[in-house]
Amino acid sequence: MPGLRKLPLAAGIVALVGLADSVYLSVKHFTAEPVPCSLVEGCEKVLSSPYAEVAGVPIAAAGALAYFTAFSLAVLAAYGDERMWKLFGGLATLMAGFSLWLIYLQAFVIGAFCQFCLISAATSLTLFGIFIAAALTREKTSFE
Amino acid sequence: MKKQQKQTSGMPLLIIGLVFVAAVIGAIYFYNSGTSSPATTASSNSTAARPTPNMANAPAGAPIGVNMLGSQTAAVTVEEFADYQCGGCAAVHPVMKELASAYAGNRNFRFIYRHYPLAIPAHDKSFEASAATEAAGLQGKFWQMQDQLFRNQAAWTANPNYRQIWSEYATNLGMDVQRFQADLAGIQTKNRVDADIQRGRALGVSSTPTVFVNGKPVPFSELNNIASLRRIVDAEIAAVAATQQSNSANSAPAAASSNQ
Repeated sequence: MPGLRKLPLAAGIVALVGLADSVYLSVKHFTAEPVPCSLVEGCEKVLSSPYAEVAGVPIAAAGALAYFTAFSLAVLAAYGDERMWKLFGGLATLMAGFSLWLIYLQAFVIGAFCQFCLISAATSLTLFGIFIAAALTREKTSFE
Repeated sequence: MKKQQKQTSGMPLLIIGLVFVAAVIGAIYFYNSGTSSPATTASSNSTAARPTPNMANAPAGAPIGVNMLGSQTAAVTVEEFADYQCGGCAAVHPVMKELASAYAGNRNFRFIYRHYPLAIPAHDKSFEASAATEAAGLQGKFWQMQDQLFRNQAAWTANPNYRQIWSEYATNLGMDVQRFQADLAGIQTKNRVDADIQRGRALGVSSTPTVFVNGKPVPFSELNNIASLRRIVDAEIAAVAATQQSNSANSAPAAASSNQ
């Protein structure tokens, strides 16, 4: 696809992974389907912990919205809208910071990891990384 | 540059719209597949499923009949391994209760509850909770305390005053609370829990709840479904009755095949 900016395009694809993941987690949260507890996984613990919701809003649903927004901004940026890329950068920074907090909660407060939550953390950190990479190579990727 | 942006402006919106639709369809798909998600349940149970073809009555670690409902000599054994801090166990608990009461009085049926507190950080009170039900059991209130702990799981599982909460349950159940607290701290109740854990390990249990019907593990997705559990138990009872009949030609207790 000539004319499309590569890094925003890559960010859009990564955001799609995050979107699929958080949609899955949101549905899991809303159906509140009981899951077995296991010696090796802690997903049920993480998803049913008090930290899975903030003020009644499941984090997974907020994540789905954030990933969808990030995807939209990345697509618009890939087609050349520089302002959207700046907005994307702000959002990606927030998401990455929030993901670090969630990793901290899983590791030290809840004491269990949920692999789907870790995928989400990985995708949002990647989005942030892509934005930083774009900023560092601005001259090359810029439109003019 | 402006011109080019104008030309392509429809395309990104189209892509965004398509992704939105795909996300909604995906959500509906996950929602519909959620109720019987065979992929997740099968994988989590298959690890526990493998090494247990016919070990229903294997004397691995724990005696049969400590926490048992039904007939000592029953031919069909439903054996549940559970953890009091496991949400899945609390969810399945009412179904297990219903199952046990549905077959109450059936001489071919027994239900055995096994402690299987998982040694994971999130389940920090599970072992002690098992000991608490054993302490209640020393006063003849095992099943009542077990019911209290599962039903009120959310109230005590993250509460630092959980021992006090359990003592309140003991009071409400008409127990001698001081004795309950002493037994909870004592070694006898812990030994009982350990015996069940050993049996679970010997059977290869790796997740809770794990339920065996005559040694055959029941998939997790079936455990929330009283109808399919009863089908499984009825089939076992029928199979046992059939072999009994073929073994002794003149005795005819065929009524054991099914009940409500």
